[in-house]
Order: sequence, then C-alpha cells, then structure tokens
Amino acid sequence: MGWEYSEKTKQLFMDAVQGKPGTHLGEIENPDGMGEHGSIACGDAMRFTFRVKRHATDPTKDVITEARYLTFGCTSAIASSEALCAIIEQGGYTPIEALKVRNSDIVEYLQGLPAQKIHCSVMGAEALEAAVFNWAQRRGVDLKSLGIDIHTKEEEEGRVVCKCFSLTEPYIKRKIRELNLRSIPEITNAIKAGGGCMSCHHVPGGLQDLLDEIWHGKPPQAPLEVIPFDARGAEGPDQPALSPYHFAKKVEKAVDEYIRPSLRMDGGDIEIVDIKGNLVYCRLDGACAGCMGASRTLKMMVERTLKDTVDETIRVIQV
Amino acid sequence: MRTIYLDNNATTQVAPEVFEAMAPYFTEDYFNPSSMYEPAQKTAHAVAEARKTIAACLGAADPKEILFTSCATESNNTALMGTARGNPKRRHIITTAVEHPAVLEVCREMERGGYKVTYLQVDSSGNLDTGEFVRALSPDTLMVSVMHANNETGVIFPIEELSRIAKETDPSIIFHTDATQTVGKLPIHMARDLRYVDSLSFSGHKLHAPKGIGALYLRRGTRCRPFMIGGHQEEGRRAGTENVPYIVGLARAVQAALETREQDEARIGRLRDRLRTALETKIPSVQVNGRGAPRLPNTLNISCHYIEGEGMLYQLSAHGICASSGSACTSGSLEPSHVLRAMKVPFTAVHGSVRFSLSRYNTEEDIERVIGVFPQIVANLRKLSPYWDNQRNAPRAEAGIITAPGRS
Repeated sequence: MGWEYSEKTKQLFMDAVQGKPGTHLGEIENPDGMGEHGSIACGDAMRFTFRVKRHATDPTKDVITEARYLTFGCTSAIASSEALCAIIEQGGYTPIEALKVRNSDIVEYLQGLPAQKIHCSVMGAEALEAAVFNWAQRRGVDLKSLGIDIHTKEEEEGRVVCKCFSLTEPYIKRKIRELNLRSIPEITNAIKAGGGCMSCHHVPGGLQDLLDEIWHGKPPQAPLEVIPFDARGAEGPDQPALSPYHFAKKVEKAVDEYIRPSLRMDGGDIEIVDIKGNLVYCRLDGACAGCMGASRTLKMMVERTLKDTVDETIRVIQV
Repeated sequence: MRTIYLDNNATTQVAPEVFEAMAPYFTEDYFNPSSMYEPAQKTAHAVAEARKTIAACLGAADPKEILFTSCATESNNTALMGTARGNPKRRHIITTAVEHPAVLEVCREMERGGYKVTYLQVDSSGNLDTGEFVRALSPDTLMVSVMHANNETGVIFPIEELSRIAKETDPSIIFHTDATQTVGKLPIHMARDLRYVDSLSFSGHKLHAPKGIGALYLRRGTRCRPFMIGGHQEEGRRAGTENVPYIVGLARAVQAALETREQDEARIGRLRDRLRTALETKIPSVQVNGRGAPRLPNTLNISCHYIEGEGMLYQLSAHGICASSGSACTSGSLEPSHVLRAMKVPFTAVHGSVRFSLSRYNTEEDIERVIGVFPQIVANLRKLSPYWDNQRNAPRAEAGIITAPGRS
C-alpha cells in the first residue's frame, strides 16, 4: 500500500512537521472550545482547540479567530488536521456555522484523499463538532433549542455493531446517512467500522443489514441475541479456562501493568468492580469519568488489552 | 538521491549473479522440461541440478525432498493442508500467535473446518514458553507449525528443541517450520540440527532471488497430499510446469547465501547494532522490540512512543530511506501488528514501531544516513503529538513513561 497522497496533502504534512510559519500545530491555553476524537489504541487521536472573539451580548454571534491541533496519527491525519484549522480560520465562522464544515470540505481542501484514508478527514470533522459542543457548554448556549442534533446518547444507549472499534448502531446509521455511504468498504474507510475482525459485515444486524435498511427500506433482521450471563451453564463455552481466583488475579495484574498507567497519563483511573465468569465490570474515575470518549476508551483499550493478556472471551462492561 | 533500502524482510533485490544465471532460460533454453526432444533435456537437467544444489545447501539427505512452489505462502499452505489431508485421523494443530498470515490464516481456516488449534503465546521479549508448548501436546495433535524466525522482530524460535520434544512425545506428530526469514541467514541442516523437522518452507525473494519462486522441504516418508493438482511434475506432489529460470535463480541464490553467510552475518550484525545503539542514545522513549530474545542479525524493530509509524515512514521516504512499520495505518487492515500485540507492546508504542531490515548490500553510509535523519523525524512528529510534552521533551504524564513490560 503506497502513498497516493495529493501534492497538497504532502505539502501540508511536511510544512506541519517542519513547523513552518502559518501552520496550526499546538494547543490554545484556556480555549473557548476543545474537542477530542480517537484514541491511542485506535491508532489516531486529535485534540482540537479554538478561540473566539466574544460577542458582548449574544454568544451565538461569537466568531472563531484561531484554531490549533495536536494529532497522533499518520500523514493524512496530520494533513487533515492542518486543513481543518485553515478552513475554520479562513471562514470567519461562528461556532454554529462551523458545524456546517464537513469532512468532505477537508477532503476537497486536501485535493482528495485515498479512499482508505477518508476516516482521517472524518476525525477532523468529529473533533470540530465536539469542540463546538464544548464551546456551547462553556458559553451557556442551548444547541438543542436551536434545532441542532447533539446525539449524546448514541454511545451509551446503542447496540454495539462493530466491536473492534466500539461503534454503535445509532452512530453508524447517522454516519451512513450523513456521509452517503453505500457499501461496507465505504463505511470502513470513513469511520473504521468493520475494519478489524470483519465479523460484523454480514451477520444479522450487521453493516450490510444497516445499509439495506437505510437505502433499500428493508426491515432489519433481529440481531443475534446475546445470552445473558446467568443463563449460561457453569460449563458454558465462554468460561475462562483458569480458576476464578487465578483469572481475577491475572485481570488485576493486566490492569495494573498495562491499563492504569495510560489512563493516569490523562489524569484518570480505573477500578475493577466485579468479575463474573468472563465479564469484567469496570468503573472509570477522575478525569476519565466525564470524558466523551470514556466508553470508547474503555472498550477499545481495556477490553483489547484484557483479551490479549488474559483471555480472548473477556467482555468489559462499564459500570 | 540514492535509495537506501532497509526493508529486506519484505523483499530483496535480485543479485546480479542470480539474474545472470537465469537469463539463458528465458531466451535460449525455454523448453518444457517434460518434453521428449533433445533441447528439453537441458532444461530438465537444469531443474535437476538446481534441486541437488538446494538439497545440498540445506543438508537434505535426498534431492527428492525439495519441492518447487510459487512462493512460501504456497509452501505453507501445502505443508499444513496437505499434511492434514494425508493424516485424517488427528484434528489438533499447535502453532504460535505470531506466525506470518500464510500460516495463521490457514490455521484459522482449518479451525472453521473443525480442527482444533492451539496458538502459543509469547512473552514481552517475543520468546515462546516451552512449558506451554509441552502442555499443548495431546494424543490428537496432528502437527506443530512454528516459524524459524519472526519476520517483524527477527526473534528466533528454538525449533531444534521444540521439534525434538514433539517427536520424543509422539513420532507421528508432524513438525513444520516456516523458514522464510532464515534460509540464507541462519545455518540450516535438515539431516543434523533440524533432523526432527518434517517440512520447511521458504521463498526466493527474501534471499536475492526473484519473487514468484518458493520451495518446500518435505522429509521422505512424510504423508502429504498435493495442494496443486493437474500434472505429474514434482512426482505428482505439485502440479504445474516447472518455472525453469526461477528455479535456476533460486538455486544460485541459496548457494551464494551459503558461500558468504558467515562473513555477511557478522558485518550486517555490526551495522544493525550500530543503528540500534545510536537510535537508543539519540531518541528518548524508544524501545527495541524483541530485546532480550535471540534475534536475526539483520533486523531492528524499534518503537517510538506516542507517535504513529506512517508519518515516520513518509519522512524517511522523503530522504530516500525505505523501511516498514507495524502501525495500523500501514497494515491495510486498520489493526496494528498482531506480533507486537502478542508481545504486549503497549498501545503507546505499537503504532510507533519501525522495522529496519538489512541485507548484504547495505553499507555503513546507509546506516549513518538513517542515524543522521531519524531522530529529527521522531522529534517532528512528537511536536504534533497530543501525548508529548515538548518543554520537557518527555511524555505528558503524571505517571511517567509507560515502559514495555519486562524491558531489560
């Protein structure tokens, strides 16, 4: 897989890494809006901050004057971050107007992105959206009353379709509509869903079913039922091979060695509440508790790490 | 700008002497070795000679133990599926979590077909636990497939010991090894050190022969059904007209590697060690993946915490330097390296891994060029990273650096 980047993408990336004047890397101190998207476990993460010129009486008339980013990611993730900041600064938008900036605008600014890198531009748009929501909170603007869908409950309330990237049905459906995604590869390229183990592609309630439902009006098939823990027999297939005592010790050790240190970096922490069979119940504390990415961080990093280090059948449940 | 090629575990340049040896078989001696007329005898003879050469270089008892295939992937497919069909009564396979997909995916496919597969785990250095291997052996074990050395980290597995244990436990267990990264780099003697190994696969393009040619060593008496059917070639064990020029090229490359292996190994090892120590000194928060394990002398897999590999490769490429990474963005699958994950390399480092793999064509200047530019490349990306504190030139962390577990 070579680099099929446009000249513009390459130039923005090289300018950014060389810290040329006019680039936007950095973080604004005491910003008016701050948004994050992605995680180190997923392979790309962005922190986007902006400053506004405050309107004396009406916060909805604030105008964004400065935008900055810090990005952990590949060439196109960094170029997309640059593009986002340039678009926002050049536009002279109010934060609410900025919500109209779409990932397609970033792609256009970059003079195109390879199909498998579209998710980099989506990351930019998502971080922007999060930053605007954050601004609204700080400035006491009720976005809902302005008719803006802030889709806050998607992550907590939705059924998880893509387990590798912890993406829920309402989120994937909204993105299929917003980004006009017509096939599974298009979904994967845009939001990574289905890009890991690929087991969610053609199962009942999987990505193909969501596409069929949205574009062809087919009624959804019932998703595969998850058997409640209590209904499983003592010798059920998901019983870890270790004794409960050793299993719990192993989970604890993995949390101490691999998980807690990275959460502490962000000022957070993790507590194991209980372990029942292969189900590990966790609570996030401190700075992690209120973070929008909390449930994603949990699922992605904690579950993956425990699967890798302790037992493949482990499922993590946030308490 | 001269290209500095440091991705020799992916593929290698064809050696001039190999290319030269192949040339006549494209233009003059193009005949089908199975044909009856006089000129075809010469091509048949060339294939026979190549088989003898390779058998001798690998210390095989009989040239008939060498099968020519199209690549190591085909050799692995043949060894696994062919052996399973040749021994239908057993249903258990033991392999490792860090195999190349040419073994791993075949095992997963066989699992879907009803086989039970044990994937042996590795520790943070990439080493296998012999105890775990012993516990996995069962009366139903059909085959063990353990790679000779890992393509990503260069970690060498003790296949002499593992194959002995398997055979001493039960002589009917078949022991296969994927030696794609070791033929030409490590001494291989099928009749002595590797006498308990039943089959061994490798390909030409990792040792300065072209892509599109591979071989399978299959010990006499090993029951293995053919994977490719449709002709009597290779005594019916692998159908398809022999790829004469490539077979000749493979033999020449194996021979050349054997002739210069010892001196190459020492020189390449010195270059690799120079690169490792310089990068470890000049760059904060790096870790060598596979540290503490026996490794191939040509491979350096190094992780730079808190940055992503693709941006490093891109900047290296701008300096004419070719390397590879285990990051998700370079894998084509959105998942980072299964090998580094199996080694419990922390997420802060998995995505920031870079593999430099050398060959006998690399020089000291190549290595000095990398040492000259790579620290700045890492610094450039860390300036952009939300996880890096540029004032302190250290990770942003109250809890300090997340080091790899078990780093020595």
